[in-house]
Amino acid sequence: MKRSLSITLCLLISFPLLAEEPGKMPEVSIDLKASDAKITQDDRDHWAFKKVERPDVPQVKNDRWVRNPIDAFILQKLERKGWKPAPAAVPGTLGRRLYLGLTGLPPTLKQQAAIDANSDPEQFDHLVKKLLASEAYGERWARHWLDIVRYAETNGYERDGMKPNVWRYRDYIIRALNDDVPFNQFILEQLAGDELETADSRTVIATGYYRLGPFDDEPADFAEDRFDQLDDMLNTTSQVFLGITLACARCHDHKFEALTQHDYYKMIAIFNPLTRPQSGRSDLDLPAGSVEQLANEQKRNGEIAKHNSNIDSINLAVALKRIQDGTSKLDDAIQKALKTPAGDRDSDAVKLIASKRNEIAADADSGLNDEQRDQLSQAKQAIKALREETPDLPRGYFFTESLENVPETNLLVRGKASSPGPVVQPGVPTVLTSVQPDFDNPTNHTTGRRLALANWIASDANPLTARVLVNRVWQHHFGVGIVRTPNDFGVMGAAPTHEALLDWLADWFVNEGEWSLKKLHALILSSNAYRMSSEWNESYAAEDPENNLLWRRPYRRLEVEAIRDSILAVSGQINRKMYGPSMYPYVPSDALDNHADKQKIWPAFNEEEANRRTIYSYVKRSLIVPFLEVLDLCDTTKSTPQRIVTSVAPQALTLFNGKFVNRQAEYFAKRLETEAGDGSAAQITLAFKLALCREPTATELQVMTDFLATETKKFREEDADGKLATSPEYRALVQICRVIFNLNEFAYPD
Amino acid sequence: MNRFMSPNQTPCRNSRREFLWETGAGFTGLAMLDLLSRDGFFDKLRAEDKEGLSGLLAPKKPHFEAKASRCVFFFMNGGPSQIDTFDPKPVLDKHHGEEYKGELEVGSNGRAIGYLMKSPFKFQKHGESGLEISDLYPHLSTHADDLCLFRSCYTDTAAHASGCIQMNTGKVGIGSPSIGSWVNYGLGTISQDLPGYVVMTDPRGGPIGSASNWSSGYIPAAYQGTMFRSSGTPLLNMENPKGVTDRGQRKSLDLLGALNQQHRRTRKFESELEARIESYELAYRMQVAAKDVVDLSQESAKTHERYGLNDKITADFGRKCLITKRLLESGVRFIQLYSGGGHIEDTWDGHTDCITNHKLHAGETDKPMAALMQDMKDIGLWDETLFVWGGEFGRTPTSEGIGKPGRDHNWHAFTMWLAGGGVKGGQAIGASDDLGFGIADRPVHVSDFHATILHLMGLDHNLLSFYYQGLDQRLTGPDEAHIVEEALA
Repeated sequence: MKRSLSITLCLLISFPLLAEEPGKMPEVSIDLKASDAKITQDDRDHWAFKKVERPDVPQVKNDRWVRNPIDAFILQKLERKGWKPAPAAVPGTLGRRLYLGLTGLPPTLKQQAAIDANSDPEQFDHLVKKLLASEAYGERWARHWLDIVRYAETNGYERDGMKPNVWRYRDYIIRALNDDVPFNQFILEQLAGDELETADSRTVIATGYYRLGPFDDEPADFAEDRFDQLDDMLNTTSQVFLGITLACARCHDHKFEALTQHDYYKMIAIFNPLTRPQSGRSDLDLPAGSVEQLANEQKRNGEIAKHNSNIDSINLAVALKRIQDGTSKLDDAIQKALKTPAGDRDSDAVKLIASKRNEIAADADSGLNDEQRDQLSQAKQAIKALREETPDLPRGYFFTESLENVPETNLLVRGKASSPGPVVQPGVPTVLTSVQPDFDNPTNHTTGRRLALANWIASDANPLTARVLVNRVWQHHFGVGIVRTPNDFGVMGAAPTHEALLDWLADWFVNEGEWSLKKLHALILSSNAYRMSSEWNESYAAEDPENNLLWRRPYRRLEVEAIRDSILAVSGQINRKMYGPSMYPYVPSDALDNHADKQKIWPAFNEEEANRRTIYSYVKRSLIVPFLEVLDLCDTTKSTPQRIVTSVAPQALTLFNGKFVNRQAEYFAKRLETEAGDGSAAQITLAFKLALCREPTATELQVMTDFLATETKKFREEDADGKLATSPEYRALVQICRVIFNLNEFAYPD
Repeated sequence: MNRFMSPNQTPCRNSRREFLWETGAGFTGLAMLDLLSRDGFFDKLRAEDKEGLSGLLAPKKPHFEAKASRCVFFFMNGGPSQIDTFDPKPVLDKHHGEEYKGELEVGSNGRAIGYLMKSPFKFQKHGESGLEISDLYPHLSTHADDLCLFRSCYTDTAAHASGCIQMNTGKVGIGSPSIGSWVNYGLGTISQDLPGYVVMTDPRGGPIGSASNWSSGYIPAAYQGTMFRSSGTPLLNMENPKGVTDRGQRKSLDLLGALNQQHRRTRKFESELEARIESYELAYRMQVAAKDVVDLSQESAKTHERYGLNDKITADFGRKCLITKRLLESGVRFIQLYSGGGHIEDTWDGHTDCITNHKLHAGETDKPMAALMQDMKDIGLWDETLFVWGGEFGRTPTSEGIGKPGRDHNWHAFTMWLAGGGVKGGQAIGASDDLGFGIADRPVHVSDFHATILHLMGLDHNLLSFYYQGLDQRLTGPDEAHIVEEALA
């Protein structure tokens, strides 16, 4: 495919149909074969589209610095310039970095002491393993994944409807990471968990991935809206797993990448059989399980229904008899309904009887004879046994697919649902493979198309999957990826700063690493490259201001989740309850004013629940928790490969004046009083240890002690009558704690 | 040229600088600006960038000279009826009570179509231009010669959520930056003590779709609209924490500043740290400035009267308009005022009784808007200010049943207006059909309207772009949008 270099030509390509009247689509003949033939060898030779070949590990002069091959690749580039990597970070700094990076929580005093006691490089390797084995690891890294899969718990738009039980997808991710589900399996589960031979509740819940996007339940144009949903799945999947911007080819061939409009619709055809469980405008959840599990549950429900029907017929008969005897204590309305012969009851009577089932049973209870009592008890026993034998399946939020009415997929002229072009068959982008996967291989209940796609993506031979994933992991450890455009590995994406290293890592990950994320983390974190300090070098900076050669540890602010979780951990208030429905953090009532349903939009604040880790915070598209939003939470509508970092005044207002931080400052101060006693120096020292994992310098200690003394005095003067319940010393200490939570060092670990 | 603009303007291009934007590596002002300027991507840093903190929000030059440098958007939430306000339909009067037999499908969700219903409001010619406006607007009509009516607007959706979102972001789907965000992205903020993009909602609630309407979408959150309350504490977290005096607040800030400076001494090249230190000082100034803006006791009794603050019908919107005047004077770039909030009759969504509904909502807003416009003329900010009026769509010429004076949504044709800097007033552009249902002449799509607003503020809608997900994204989308040239003075 020839990509235009001149602007003029490019505009001609992009708007060839401009002169047409809107609504009048021109006759377009689209030759799909010719479209595929546009892809040239040149296109296939783009570095990221070629099969990964493991490069040799380079020889370097200072081989003592090389703890593993990563270091050799980094050092080689530095030595070519005659540069040296920054010195190693001091143990305390490295420990804090590792804890925050892997778990999103600072080390406790005990954990800090362990680091201080033994700071051999090998000890840190053990620490890494320990942290990877902690449950906090999954909570921290699941959030990175949720960013790229546009996770939210409502649909957006007018009603902003709930996505019922979608949190089970979030829990699935946390568990999968903690269990170190191999990444190729992780792909299969999310893209085709319902189509696997090993399908079960867990893997079906994983396919909730497809259904996380926004959804307009009152669309202006249903066909267009359906297509937007498919586009959302395609856009997310192509960026998340393949790092390509295929969504740009909806209306025309991609202008700069070797991706055709045909490629786009081939991929759409893979997702097109998915249907949305809905009742009117309401989005529905479903029991999650394999076909067999669902059948079992249905069979069980049938048997339970039979027993219930027996129970009901006994109870109803006895209740009726009591009515006739005049001993019934039931309401007149129920009595009237029961007296009507079953065949003659209107729908209201039937509903009433059904809804008063328990009352009727209670009334009947005193009129049962022994035989009836026996029968009831046996039926109830049987139901209990059935439920034990076949427990309820968890409910999940996912699309369904069946082999009935599989829709045809048309290429859409100019991307408009109203102008279908030729029918296309499922497939993957031509430039990425010379042999298309077999998409004509249905399972016994689905088309098998997603499974074919998943197998192709998760195969060792896919050129992009491992590269894209390894780059994401690198990015979260180093602040930026080896490819700085983590969702775009195409020709328009950024070139890798260390192409050989990326390929080496990708190959290692698939082969030695066996797709294990934990092994990959351990490898990266054992490198000296990771363990460098952030020491500045003016002459290097002049030549390489963006630190492309990785001559030092890059600086990056913690994400809002790690900031909030750290505050809770330091104040001692963190609630480590894992999993389950989301919690609702405090939202100032002022922030609800802008909502159309301001009265009922956000449940009442429950502090203990809200003190759970931030990943369990409810993500409502029309009301993002202000604390999270202002501190650069990702966009929840589209895949976000990297958080934006801004420093603006509303953040300072939130962190300095907001209720959350000030409340935690109070808890923190109480904790200091309890754990350090009355002495200012001891309190301040403990505060620094807990919050910053180091002792204060002499100057810091002096400044803080002076502040405590003068502010205590002031607080005492301001409350001369001693009306306040708290002591002036405590109130001054709260101010110290408030300041500590706001320190740059708190949000920017070295 | 705006320094965040692409040097060439193909819609799908990319550059190293843009990926920095995309990956978030460049959002903290000085640091990356400095690096990039050394790298030759940007013009030399201007003095204000070095003094002020944030290259993100620093004032930027427009693409070309334009009169308007700030914008007030009166958003009539719920969809005001063009037939009852700015678009007289004498032919409709003649067919009052007849069944509608045209081809246009009627609004939303299978509502009763009813019969053609004339407007009960009287239209009169106003000013030298003789522009026809209904008697819902006795005050606003004194500015008739300044209004540029667009009587042939159309949009792509009949639903409130997607309609509001399209009118604000150009797209019917959520997740794109709103026009106020684009304007601030393109021009930066003038006032460094106040947010550049202020939103004031109705006391009855926000618009459907809530924050999606003033979201910054995929561009940095620094550009998103800031909710501003018209009384008490206008911004979230603006008050000192309980028990902390102004003196104590300052002391704690000083301690924070001292410790942060100490920390920075060994990290002096980390300019993100400097930006964050500055943000606390800016927040402190903002606390003072924002409180000052909503303190209307400084305004004269006469002013209170002119804005309708003494009448409970107009008091709320009047307060907002008077605060808007003060925000404009302080240099706030983009202000959006919502009339109507919550659902149905609490907004302009007159399904049950459009007549009573519009009397209420027009009555609440007419006098305050007129007073604000007059003040802008009097204090010499008229030419620098662009006024925008309208909702997410209009309303049908049909009622929702016989004898039921409700009107349904009409996205086929409705009226918006512009006034102020660079606008040619005293005219109506385009025309709806005889019934006011479809378009008879000169269709103006929402994107054309947006392109015109940007143009009036010195921004080229084709150049104002942000590279995201493989595309140079624009407010007006990938399809061509056209400036409505007739509207330009």
